[in-house]
Amino acid sequence: MIPPESETKGTSEMSAAGSPSERAQEAPDLSALGVKEGAGHQVQVSGLHAYYGQVHAVKGIDIDFPANEVTAIIGPSGCGKSTMIRCINRMHEEIPGARAEGSVTLDQFDVYGADVDVTSVRRVIGMVFQKPNPFPTMSIFDNVAAGLRLTGLKSDNLRETVHKALRAVGLWGEVKSRLNEPGIGLSGGQQQRLCIARTVAVEPEVILMDEPCSALDPIATLRVEELIDELKERYTIVIVTHNMQQAARVANSTVFMLDGELIEHSPTHDLFTVPKDERTERYVTGKFG
Amino acid sequence: MQETRHQFREELKGLEQQVLGGLDIVIQQLDRALESVSYQDVELASMVVADDDRIDGRYLEVHQGILSLLARQAPVAGDLRIVAALLHVIRCIERMGDQCVNIAKLVPLSGYESPKDKDILDALEKMGQYARSQVSQSKEALGSRNVELAQDLVHQDAEINSLNRFIFRRAVEVGDDPDVREWAMFMVLVARCLERIGDNTVDIAEQVVFVVTGLFREMADASTPNQRTPTA
Repeated sequence: MIPPESETKGTSEMSAAGSPSERAQEAPDLSALGVKEGAGHQVQVSGLHAYYGQVHAVKGIDIDFPANEVTAIIGPSGCGKSTMIRCINRMHEEIPGARAEGSVTLDQFDVYGADVDVTSVRRVIGMVFQKPNPFPTMSIFDNVAAGLRLTGLKSDNLRETVHKALRAVGLWGEVKSRLNEPGIGLSGGQQQRLCIARTVAVEPEVILMDEPCSALDPIATLRVEELIDELKERYTIVIVTHNMQQAARVANSTVFMLDGELIEHSPTHDLFTVPKDERTERYVTGKFG
Repeated sequence: MQETRHQFREELKGLEQQVLGGLDIVIQQLDRALESVSYQDVELASMVVADDDRIDGRYLEVHQGILSLLARQAPVAGDLRIVAALLHVIRCIERMGDQCVNIAKLVPLSGYESPKDKDILDALEKMGQYARSQVSQSKEALGSRNVELAQDLVHQDAEINSLNRFIFRRAVEVGDDPDVREWAMFMVLVARCLERIGDNTVDIAEQVVFVVTGLFREMADASTPNQRTPTA
């Protein structure tokens, strides 16, 4: 079941899904996007600028997100880290007055190319948000299936795909006996894993996570972090977090942003033990924030 | 942007002061241990042994403080390097304290009126001066984060090592008198303790370089004592 537009308007899923007409057409597969299936996929961001009207939020960022690695982005509030990752799957342009310049490529595929289907981009580059946002009227099963339906993908075996996604996020054992119950009835941590299952179900190649644990308790946070560690075997993951310890725990490399600029991108171990830039040192040690 | 984590910073500063104070206690203990050897002062030597509890207590205080800080404050970057270095340095302090005790315990064993060899005594006195100077310099290097001062400790340590080898050779050749030979053997052990104190100050110097640069390099490699590995 696809929820009526009025019910989900303003939620990230609808933004990600594009217009109803876009949903109606069958989304191209990876090969149609020029992206090889199966292998790890890397994202390259070059000369990225993002604006909210006159506000220059991201100021010329160049960064590579290596395949099958977790890259964490840290920085004080308002530094442009969420804006930057929303540019990767073209979510940023959904905000009125917002625009982006520069280049984002997935392998050799230009995400901002002229004839690119935005829906397909958002299927291949999935996103998990700060607050768990299951569709309130949908069952657990339909919440996961909604990802498949919204992106227009036809699954030969929907049930099997949903079960597989729930297993992938470690939720299967907890919900297998109540798949028809409302997703909103799950705990916060379970809801977030349900949303990750919805993202995983459409088989993306890159998963963007915007503070995915900020609304979760410590135990649920650790479950999600373990899940991230498992998911990186198959996906390239970019996670925005305010929790520096979380970045230290889950990320292979960490990016520090300040005032819309990329200050430092280093292996996580180096950034938290021997940061190269004094501003990074001052931020991670709490000398400003 | 405002500076944050004042409580953490105060705690870290307090721990560093405790460690630097620990080096002062080592200097006191070393002075008394050397004096007890020079004057064959058994009573003073026993005080050195008893006072090692001060150093052991300081070690426990700092160790507990660092564990607490790690658990509660999760230091990173330069703060993490300081915390890791303090944990290492307080261990060096505890070991140097033990070496002072070892020296003191040799005093009653070496005999009250035993004949002595002037060359060995002179060399031991020099070693003691070098060891004291090195402990003091390691404290200054750590407190001021002075890499040059830290690296200079390696050169000083070479002097102590040289004197240690001299005392060993002299003890072998000291003569046929069994009392002198026995006394000389005890002095070899005292020299060995001083040499170990010198090594501990070099360990502290390595930690100073690590705190400042983030790179760890052994300044003096025990497996190839004649080679000096490059510093950061």
